[in-house]
Amino acid sequence: MTPSSDDAILVQDLVKRFGEFEAVKGITFSVRRGEIFGLLGSNGSGKSTTIRMLCGIIAPTSGRARVAGYDIESQSEEVKHSIGYMSQKFSLYEDLTPFENIRFFLGLYNVDRSRWKERMEWVLETARITEVKDRLTRDLPQGWRQRLALGCALLHRPEILFLDEPTSGVDPVTRRHFWGFIRELSEQGITVFVTTHYMDEAENCDRIVMIDLGTIVAQGSPAQIIREVCPGSEGADLNEAFITLMARSAP
Amino acid sequence: MSPRNVGAVMRKEFNHIVRDPRSLILAFIIPLSLILLFGYALSLDVENVRTVIVDHDRTRESRDLVRHLASSPYFRVQGHLESTAEVSVVLDSGTAAVGVIIPPGYGRDITADRSSPIQVLVDASDPNFSNITLGYLTAFINTYNQRLLLKFLDKNGMPAIEPPVDGRIRVWFNEDLQSRKFIIPGIIAVIIMIAGAMLTSLVIAREYEAGTMETIRSLPLTAVEFLLGKAVPYFFIAMTNVLIAVLLGQVLFDVVMKAEFSLMMAASSLYICVALALGLLISTVTRSQLLANQGAILLTYLPSLLLSDFVFPVTNLPRVLQLISSIVPATYYIEILNGIYLKDVGFALLWKDFAVMVLMLAVLSGLSLFILRREGL
Repeated sequence: MTPSSDDAILVQDLVKRFGEFEAVKGITFSVRRGEIFGLLGSNGSGKSTTIRMLCGIIAPTSGRARVAGYDIESQSEEVKHSIGYMSQKFSLYEDLTPFENIRFFLGLYNVDRSRWKERMEWVLETARITEVKDRLTRDLPQGWRQRLALGCALLHRPEILFLDEPTSGVDPVTRRHFWGFIRELSEQGITVFVTTHYMDEAENCDRIVMIDLGTIVAQGSPAQIIREVCPGSEGADLNEAFITLMARSAP
Repeated sequence: MSPRNVGAVMRKEFNHIVRDPRSLILAFIIPLSLILLFGYALSLDVENVRTVIVDHDRTRESRDLVRHLASSPYFRVQGHLESTAEVSVVLDSGTAAVGVIIPPGYGRDITADRSSPIQVLVDASDPNFSNITLGYLTAFINTYNQRLLLKFLDKNGMPAIEPPVDGRIRVWFNEDLQSRKFIIPGIIAVIIMIAGAMLTSLVIAREYEAGTMETIRSLPLTAVEFLLGKAVPYFFIAMTNVLIAVLLGQVLFDVVMKAEFSLMMAASSLYICVALALGLLISTVTRSQLLANQGAILLTYLPSLLLSDFVFPVTNLPRVLQLISSIVPATYYIEILNGIYLKDVGFALLWKDFAVMVLMLAVLSGLSLFILRREGL
């Protein structure tokens, strides 16, 4: 079940075309087991397309990728069993209760029936929504729903967690909590793959790939990227590095 | 395919239905009202045709004619008028559909064994109705003539003669010619389409609109499991509707579904599956609940009602509509139901209709699966 190498994700020359438009233009990178990996880019840079290919939601036009040791095209079912995915838009059933939502996920993931109760309680406690588990999801505050979605994505103890812009529209305090939680997951050995366009947040990542218009413009640890892109400027941050890179690639 | 995944989708779909009982109300109220509406209002039988009489003659003979007309179950004499002009007023206003005008001298002519004309005016604004009425009138006048003829022979001391051609007509399958016996199966076909296709047409579109389709795609769930899980709860709703319709047909309209129940259930199950597959396909293609609902009305409800041999006989339709009728699932289901209930024939004669519906089911669900798989399920 487990891949032999240390790489949780291996991406090679991945291309996605929608008709004439080439959203992802042949990107190659890898993500190591247990690290927090950030895919950075502005809106429309190809972040979501990439994450959706890696989760087996859309098929790549060409190129290859292995996620948790499985080929994303020929073994997409196995990929889906090994990952948790939280999409950009809140996508749980708002007309169902948290309890019913979790029940749905429990039924679909390979979670043994004897562990349902334990997993259910774990999600409710982790998301801190135990006391509202029978209220309608649509009546919960945004932050609570977000925690429920994250809990559902972790329900089956996936090897890799994919988060597409998880903190958009979330207040700073919740955001800090969120990154603390991600750090905990990473310490438990779960690989976390995050896309974001908030550069200050990306400092929390162990390693980063920056993409623009479907191509990789920089990769490495946050410190490495800052050093390479803005040499000599003391106190530069990822934001500055990103803006510099964007200016460079602009025609 | 894993039964557990199907079960999970089923349970979720069931939760949705319970949470929003509006769809459940739609699923039961509409069929119920349709049975009542069609069963009581859409009687294609013509009886008690409202008739007015203008008797200028006022003799024993003319009164005899009127009495015979009034005793027929097909005509109800509403009153006597004074002039032809008054007949035209009641025909115009629609208070009567037939006016019989007996000229002065009618009694004298009949007594003298001469032919006498009587005038009959018929409101033909509904051609179907007036055709039937014309048939009744012709039959009535023939019978009455025969009576007078026999009386004439008797009076002149001649023996009664047999008519040269003695047509002995028997109607089969629906001996009382009650259109209800034909209408109830048709209503069941329309109801299943409404409960089945219109409700399921919403269920995948809803996932697209709520953005939850993205979650579904990311889950280890195959397109077959997804479709099956979506369809099963609605199968039971539609089946409940069939049983309610059969029961109401029996209790309210005396349409006893006497033939093999198992064959009826088999045909209904198959037809329900076709309806569900059609609804799910519409939902998958449109991705919008509003569009799906309109599409479902256009593609399921109306054709089932109008092009299925239910309301309009297919043989009278233009060629193009006949072709469309041959791809309307209700056409085959109604044929089976009529075969079962009116003709009491078995599977040996109905297997072709079954086969066509199986083919439809395969094509419709195949298309949905193809689209969903392309969508990443």
